Amino acid sequence: MVHTLLQMDTFHSENQQPRQAVVTDAVLVTALGGDIDTLWRRLMQKGTAIGPISRFPVDQEHYTAGIAAIIDDLKPSRDHSLIKSLLDRLMVQMGPVPSDATLITATLKAGIDNLEAVCRGNPSGFQDIPLSSLAEHISPQIGLKSNGLCISASCASSTIAVAQGAALIESGQAEAVLVCCAEIVSEYAFAGFSSLKALAPAPCQPFDRGRRGLSLGEGAAALLLMPAARAGREGRDRLGTICGWGITNDAAHITAPAKGGHGLAQAIDKALKSAEKKPEEITAICAHGTGTIYNDRMELDAFKHILGPRKRPIFSVKGAIGHTLGAAGGIEIILGLKALATLTIPPTIGFTHPEKGAEGQVSAETQAIANGCLLTTNSGFGGVNAAIILGP
Amino acid sequence: MCEGIVVESIKTEITGIGWVTAAGMGRARTHRDFAMPLERMPEFRPEDVFKEPFPNLRRMDDYSRLGVTATALALADAGLDTWTCKRNIGIVGTTVYGCLGADVDYYNTVIPNRGAQASPALFSYTSANSYLGEAAIRFGLTGTNYMVFEQHPTGLAGLHAALGHIARQDDDKILGGVCEAGCPRIFGQPDNVPPGAVFFMLEPVGSNPLPGFGILESLSMNKLLFNGSPVDNLVMLVEQCLSVMRR
Repeated sequence: MVHTLLQMDTFHSENQQPRQAVVTDAVLVTALGGDIDTLWRRLMQKGTAIGPISRFPVDQEHYTAGIAAIIDDLKPSRDHSLIKSLLDRLMVQMGPVPSDATLITATLKAGIDNLEAVCRGNPSGFQDIPLSSLAEHISPQIGLKSNGLCISASCASSTIAVAQGAALIESGQAEAVLVCCAEIVSEYAFAGFSSLKALAPAPCQPFDRGRRGLSLGEGAAALLLMPAARAGREGRDRLGTICGWGITNDAAHITAPAKGGHGLAQAIDKALKSAEKKPEEITAICAHGTGTIYNDRMELDAFKHILGPRKRPIFSVKGAIGHTLGAAGGIEIILGLKALATLTIPPTIGFTHPEKGAEGQVSAETQAIANGCLLTTNSGFGGVNAAIILGP
Repeated sequence: MCEGIVVESIKTEITGIGWVTAAGMGRARTHRDFAMPLERMPEFRPEDVFKEPFPNLRRMDDYSRLGVTATALALADAGLDTWTCKRNIGIVGTTVYGCLGADVDYYNTVIPNRGAQASPALFSYTSANSYLGEAAIRFGLTGTNYMVFEQHPTGLAGLHAALGHIARQDDDKILGGVCEAGCPRIFGQPDNVPPGAVFFMLEPVGSNPLPGFGILESLSMNKLLFNGSPVDNLVMLVEQCLSVMRR
């Protein structure tokens, strides 16, 4: 797959450890763009895919919102699976995957629409309901020898999957890893977040003083990782490096982020140590930025606590593509690599009046970033936090 | 394993085991028998394990109650159930069906009245990793935490992953194990996964003052050894540990 993400003349292989994991191919599907270039262009044009929901009934009397970022023309496969259709749309973009690659999938709810159908007594299949079904669908398509692992850790699922992929490569337990993640917008999740009063009535506004909650979205991403040495030997494109990562638990609350962001701060600290980087080497941040009052406050506190008071460009894409739950990390890592490649971060859609501490960092406009590393973070139910440091 | 590089084996010590299965609940230093039968899970009383008040227990779904109780027993077995400061201890669990029971229970609150009665309390437990958060809160565990879904129930995927986190020094100690509440009958699937939860406390060799059960070693993504002997599944590993204690 050739796209502009690959035009990275800033890649410095002489400083690379031979077993360090590099990303050699990446593809994605979102409601705002069915491929990386389209999504990036529309992000730069300040587009948003968040709009009225027609997939399932949204009764305004019962729900706190009626909007989400849904892929307009996504229809279930012949065997009634929406997530398989999404995965097919993703994998058709992917270049050749080495047959020795280990597959790691990530999702929060997989084919949850079929669980809805079963509960309603409607015709449906069971096969895409277990989370391991993503691997069963992908693996034979690309000729992999095993179905690998499926990682689930709420909204940090795919961030952790990429971290685990990089760990397998660094340790020598895998010579290539394909990470795939996917999530669909469902009545199931919509009703749940509505019941928690976490949905914004209008498109979400990450890091804005007037933010009122999150907007759901759907999407999928795939990243091919391999050791830097192999990528060089095989003449593969190198989109960037997974320099380090950290995973923690707040040990504070199972649905709300910890006040002060100590858990996320600890994850970032672990990521910095793992990457052997100093805070000043982080030149930009792709934040989880859900648009909920507590998440965005917590993130700003955590960034300041660990990275210090120096301001640096921060962005969130949730106002444009919605919160894609288990797929959020994978999509955002790809966008983080694109940001490093172009030395630009996209506008944060919906951001107008800065939350305290966001001034001079988050912007409604495109921002230039300096050469260096980009931090990307995700947090979720169960108190989980994950941070990854990306390098050129 | 990769051509051209030497992959060193990863070694950790098993210092505690806790379980809740259809045959009962227990921990390795106080119970000598273990079984994980493919039977319906009987009522069990987590209150017998949690001596201090634990109000969230009542709110949890069966899957979460199983997982939290087994992790508590494993921590107690390793002498790590009391704490004053939060600790860099992780948890990685394995499952086939995860929280499908909670998913069905929750969605059945969405159906009537088009979402107006959706239960936020039930929704809170519809992430397969939510119970890891409950265990983390209860025992001050701030380390790595996530669930690994397997197609076929060996229960070993989480242990493999946990060993890797110890080797990378991501966590000072880590719990690895399995948590299964089965597949709800509404799906009409065959009962092929024994219900229950089993967790092992893994630590760097020699770091716990209590005598360990033995050395768990990972040679590759698909090969585990316990005291040098191959381990095919999680039940076998518990039995091997208990046989060490019986000697």
